[in-house]
Order: sequence, then C-alpha cells, then structure tokens
Amino acid sequence: MNLPILPTTVVGSYSMPGWLERLKTEYFARRISRHELDEIHDAAVKASIKDQEVAGVDIITDGELRRDNMIDYFAERLPGVQTDHGSKKFYYDFYDSVVRGKIPMASLRLVDDFRFLAANTDRATKFCVTGPHSLVKRIRDEFYKNEEAFATDIARVINLELKELVRAGARFFQIDEPYYSGFPEDLQWGVRVLNTLVDGVDAKITLHVCYGNRYGKPSWAGNYRYLFPAILEANVHQLSLEFARRGGEDLELFKEFPNKFELGAGVIDVKGHEVETPEMVAERIRKALQFVPAERLHILPDCGCLHLPREVAFNKLKVMVQGARLVRREVGG
Amino acid sequence: MILHVNHVQPDRTALTTSVVSTLLTVAGEGQVSRRTLDNLNVHLDWVQYKTNFREAVSVRRATKGEELLPWIEVGVDLRQVRQETLKEEFVHALNDVGADATGSRKRIYLEPFAPMRCSLIWTFNKLFWQHRPLWEKATGRGFEKALPTGQSDANHPLAIADSVADVWTLLKDLENQKQLPPEIFVLEIGVGTGQRAALWLNRFRDLDRERGTQYYPRIRFLLADYSVTTLDAAQQTVQDHRELASFLAVDALDPFKSLSFLRYKVLYIHLTNVYDNLPTDELVTRDGRLYFVEVRSYVSFGEAARISETFSVPPAEFTRTVNRLLEAGPQHLSLSDVQQSVGFWRAVWDAIRLEERFVAIEGVSEAPLPPGIRPSQLENFIANAATNQRFHVSSGALESFINTVPLLHPRGYLQVQDIFVTDLADYPRMFRGPGKMDGSIVNWVNGALLAEVGEQAGYDVHFAPFHYREGSRTSILYTTHRE
Repeated sequence: MNLPILPTTVVGSYSMPGWLERLKTEYFARRISRHELDEIHDAAVKASIKDQEVAGVDIITDGELRRDNMIDYFAERLPGVQTDHGSKKFYYDFYDSVVRGKIPMASLRLVDDFRFLAANTDRATKFCVTGPHSLVKRIRDEFYKNEEAFATDIARVINLELKELVRAGARFFQIDEPYYSGFPEDLQWGVRVLNTLVDGVDAKITLHVCYGNRYGKPSWAGNYRYLFPAILEANVHQLSLEFARRGGEDLELFKEFPNKFELGAGVIDVKGHEVETPEMVAERIRKALQFVPAERLHILPDCGCLHLPREVAFNKLKVMVQGARLVRREVGG
Repeated sequence: MILHVNHVQPDRTALTTSVVSTLLTVAGEGQVSRRTLDNLNVHLDWVQYKTNFREAVSVRRATKGEELLPWIEVGVDLRQVRQETLKEEFVHALNDVGADATGSRKRIYLEPFAPMRCSLIWTFNKLFWQHRPLWEKATGRGFEKALPTGQSDANHPLAIADSVADVWTLLKDLENQKQLPPEIFVLEIGVGTGQRAALWLNRFRDLDRERGTQYYPRIRFLLADYSVTTLDAAQQTVQDHRELASFLAVDALDPFKSLSFLRYKVLYIHLTNVYDNLPTDELVTRDGRLYFVEVRSYVSFGEAARISETFSVPPAEFTRTVNRLLEAGPQHLSLSDVQQSVGFWRAVWDAIRLEERFVAIEGVSEAPLPPGIRPSQLENFIANAATNQRFHVSSGALESFINTVPLLHPRGYLQVQDIFVTDLADYPRMFRGPGKMDGSIVNWVNGALLAEVGEQAGYDVHFAPFHYREGSRTSILYTTHRE
C-alpha cells in the first residue's frame, strides 16, 4: 500500500468510551453474556476505525478496545498461564495470572481480531502485541525462576502467532515494551528475547518503548539513554518513542548512535487533555527531522489514546495529521 | 415510628433511655398524627462538636421535585437536648412540618435550599481564613487552640522526622537508579502557621548534612494556600530556608490549575487538616432509594433579635448586614468599630443552623458531583452502602485529590493527615460533621470513597493511624501508584 512521506499512525489503543467501560464491568458482574460483549466490542472497534479514518490517519489499528489492558488480553490467551477470573473487580485491573509449567506452543487466537480490522478499512493497518518483557513483569512465575527463559518461551508463542497473522495478511506489527523503561537493567536479555520474537516474521516491525501510560500517567521517569547501545542489536525496523510530553532532547541519541532504524516520533502528548495545534505538531516533526531523514520518519502520538476522552483523542489525531501535512509540503511530499 | 439509636456511650445510657421513653410517650399520647408516626424515623445522635449546625430537635423532609414525600426524619442531638423541654420541642417540630415546606415563620433564612457544598456556611468558612487575625484578636487565642488538644498534629516532631526519613530514602533510591531529578519538588498544601514546613526543612537539612547527600540544596519547597494572609505569616516562620521556599496562592480544590507546570514532577505532597475543611455534600440511602441532602442556613428569630439588639443593627437590616459581612469582610461593616463587627460576625456564626431536606434522585448521575468525578466512579461504592445510611461525598476533598495527584512524579507520593472515615460501615457509629471549629467548619472525610476514586485514577490509597499521639483520631492517608 502506498503511503505518503511522514506517514501518520497511532500507538495501538483508541479512547475507551465510558459506556464500554461500564459494559465490560457488567460482563465481569455476569450481567451480560460473552456473546453480547463480543457484539459490543465489534461495534466499538468499527467506531474507532471510523474515527481514525475521518481524522486522516494513514496506518490504523483496531483501537484495542477488546482488550481490558495490555497484559490480560495476552495472559488469558497464553497457553499454560492460569488467570484467576475472580481476581479483579474493575475491567482495567490486572488479573492475578501465574505460570506453573513450561509454556507450550499454541495459538493466541489473534487472527480474528486482525481479520475484523482488515475487513472494515481500506487503509493500511498495524497490529499491536505486548512484548514478552512486559508480560513477564505481570505474570507470576512459579516455574521458570528465570525471567529471560520465561520471556523466551512467550516470545516463541508470539512469534508463531505473528507468522499466522502474516499469513492472514498482516504487514505491520508493533511490539509494546514499556517495561524496559522501568527495568533498564533487563535490556540486554530483553533485546535477545525480542529477536526471538521477530525471527523469520516477514513484516515490518516497530518496537514501542514509552514511560508507561497506565491510568493515563507515566509509570517511570528518566530518559532514553539507557536504550543505547543495546537496542542497536534489535532486529526491528522502527523504534516508536515518546517526545511530545518529555521534549525532544533524547532525539540527540539518534545522532550519537548512528543506526538503521526508522523513528516513530511521538508528537502528541496523550497524558494531557489540551489539544495541540497543527503548528506545534509541525514544529515537533521539524525537530525530529534534524536527526532522522523524512523517509525514515513516522508520525504518531506518544502512546495509546486509551485514557483520553473520545473527542480529545479524535481532535488530537486530527491535528497530528494536519501537522504532518504542513511538514510534508516543506519536504516535498 | 422507627427509632435509630446511633450513638450510646456507657455514661450516657440513662439520658438515652430517658429520651427514648419520652418519645414513646409522645407517640402514645396521640399528639402526633398516626400518618406522621407511620412515616417517622427518629435518629438519636451525640453531636461531637460543641458548636454545630443542628437544633436539639430537627426535622428533615424528603422531596421529589415539588412533591413532599411521606418520609419524615427527626434528629435528636443528645448533647443539646434538655429533658424538660424535649417533649414540647418534639411535638412542635412535627407540627411545624405540614404540606407547606416553604419554611418556618420562626426563622430568618439566609439562603434558599441548595446542595450542602453550595451553602453560605462555606463563605463564612472562607471569611474566617481570610480574616483570621481579627477573629483571633477577639478570642484572644490562636486557631490551633480550638483543636481538641490545643495544638496541630501537623507539627508533631516524630511524625515530621519519619516523613523526612521517608523522603530521604526515596531520594537515595532514585539516586541509586540514576533517576534523581535536578530539582526536588516538595509541596505542602494548607500551610497553617508555616511551622510544619520549617520543622520539616530543618530536619531534612540536618539529615542531609549528617549523611552527606547534598539533597537539601536541590529541594524546592512550595508552600501553597488559598489565604494570602496565611502565606504571609508562614513566610516569616520559614525564613531560615528562604532560598528554597516559594509561597503560592493556590485553590485548594484545584492545585493543578496553578501548578500544572509541575505535572509529574513533585516527589512529595503533604496536607494536614485541609480536606476536613473543604465543602462537602451528603448522600442518603433509604429503603432502596437514593437522596442527596440540600440545606439552607437560618438564624432563629429569637437569636436574630438578640444579636440585632446587642450590636445595634435594626432588625430589618439583619440579613443585609450578614450579606455585607460576607461580601466585604468585617472591616467594612457599618458598625461602630471593627471590634463590634467581629463580635457581630462571631455571634451570627454561633447562631447559624442548617435546615436539611432529602431530595430523591433516580441515580448517582443526578447527584451534584464535584467536577472531574464521573457517576460511574461512585456507583459501585453506593451499591455497597447499607440500605439506610447517610454519608459524606466529601466533594471538596475528592476534587482536591483528583486535581493534586497529577502533580506527582511517577515515584512520588501524597500524604494527608486528617480525620478519615476509612470504612463506610463506620458512618452510623458516630456523628461526622459538619461542626464548627472557631470560625471555620470541620467535617470527617469519607476516606473509603476517596480510596475508591483513587483506585480508578491509578492510585492505591492506604490509611494508617496517627500513632504519634495516643487517642488521636487522625489518620494518615498515603498513596502509592497502582499497577
């Protein structure tokens, strides 16, 4: 699919409507059925797709509205992981999940999600999965006693799933690893596991690393210096990093550590409700262009829009697209 | 008639028994109609605060729109009630609540019915903090002397030492992880005399020197209060640390409004006895229905006449003079001098009572919730409330909390010393306010609700007893980031 220069995309999640939160909680309270919830999810995902299209986003996702959070959707599907379904009262809480034996190879059943997305849009699509490093931080390990070994087995399962998704037509994946920022000391093995995950996957892959967006607030502080040079060994095509909220100082790292990666530059702050102007967005893109050439730059928000009110999320995506268009004209796109 | 004995202490059982006996006698004598008795709930409370907003016997009606509902509630304050007049007051109170709910002719109403947090008693509260020195001059004592122990728990040296040690440990940990920010922001909201800030900074400086960590020069201590008068006084107290301290006029309900530039940057936020002084609303669950409480303040004719005479205010000018007091302050009343004006202010404040009514609503979405709070955040909480229960929404505290936590650094925490009801089931066990504390208002804070709302905003809220003073009713609220 032909994309413009400086293509715009999202970081997975779209605004979670209040009514959907309530209905998810209704499901936990056994007041609506699984079938009804699935139908509700279908409707919500269609609305999310439409919003992204109307906002003018070039590469869209399903908004991840079927997912309670970035962990449980995968923990529940990982073979060998037991989740205590009575362990949370609010949909966004984490289940108490535990692994007590070696994780076998089996499908995560994500292909239907991708097919639904692809069937409901003509735009280019991206499919997002939570990375093994983040998953091992939230799933209690009573078997491996070694995070890298545990994460490697998860990576093998996800690798199988990505290949299934490629067969179903997926061409662009995003691996979410925000927990790198909380545990920078894990990065060496984190990258090894990441390379297991993407091994032989015939698609474009971006690695998203932020400072957390749990409850719409950062989980960690610091800067991206910890990523370098270890991240240079990652077999991914693109790094998706947040620069809007934190400022663009870390862009210097792309100069200090010459690399092959595309950059997915976060130019929209998803932790504040104030909508940027197209000019602000354009300025942030211009700053990124000082360190990465236009043909290697993608434009996106800092992280998912999950916690933003729908109107704010929609308007933020619109100005992101408008800002990108302003700069495209300047670079001849 | 259903009697609710909400509070009985061993040394007061005789009084309670006698009151119950009187009420049963009245019910049996036929002085109150059968229909009224059928719908009557009588609550016996011991109102903790010596000065408060209740009569010895108060009647509360329930309404739905313009319609007066049959349910009638009578509150009897065991602290104020006099056995010899109880019977008469009880009968009069019930006979005074006919279909005409516009009000009693024996009262001067200062405002129409409104949700509690909108009542002008909060304007009086604000007036106190704005003109506290005048009030203190008239009473001859500082406001902290009005506290049960005569001093604020905020300044307890051991509590401060522990607080400093906790912050120092956090900073050391951040340093070990190479994440120590160049500027260490500490925020105190509601600064009182400034003594706590001064003690905290003294202790922190000493500890920092002792351990050779060089954190003290990086501290940016922000003292925030809505009263400029209070900030000015605090500035004197903290002058030893003037290089590190900043004084900011901040809306206690929305600290973020003034401090948004510190979003995610403040490592430690502390408040003492701020939430208990912020406007609140109350909700009532009764027989499967939800009501919110509306109030209107009044002064009895008798009291108004006495005050008017004492301060030479024409009786017809009484309400206008009160309004003038609230709008312009005591210095601008046209009484003989400021001393007289403060006397008028104190007398009116002492005489003010609240008439209450219960307004039926279909659900939480119809309740007057504070800005930033969604009905869904309260629905579970209310679903867990007992069938017949009255509790604070702590509107101001919730609003303040929600508008404070975004300032916290990802590793930062909020600490609040206050009087919290940490379990909803504790509400019926004693009266929780509002009461009067000198010229200000005091209310217990619904900590259980705060925890519920905090959880949904991504913060686990914990409570610990204030163990530094035996018998203290203070708790310490402590937030941690929720995973």
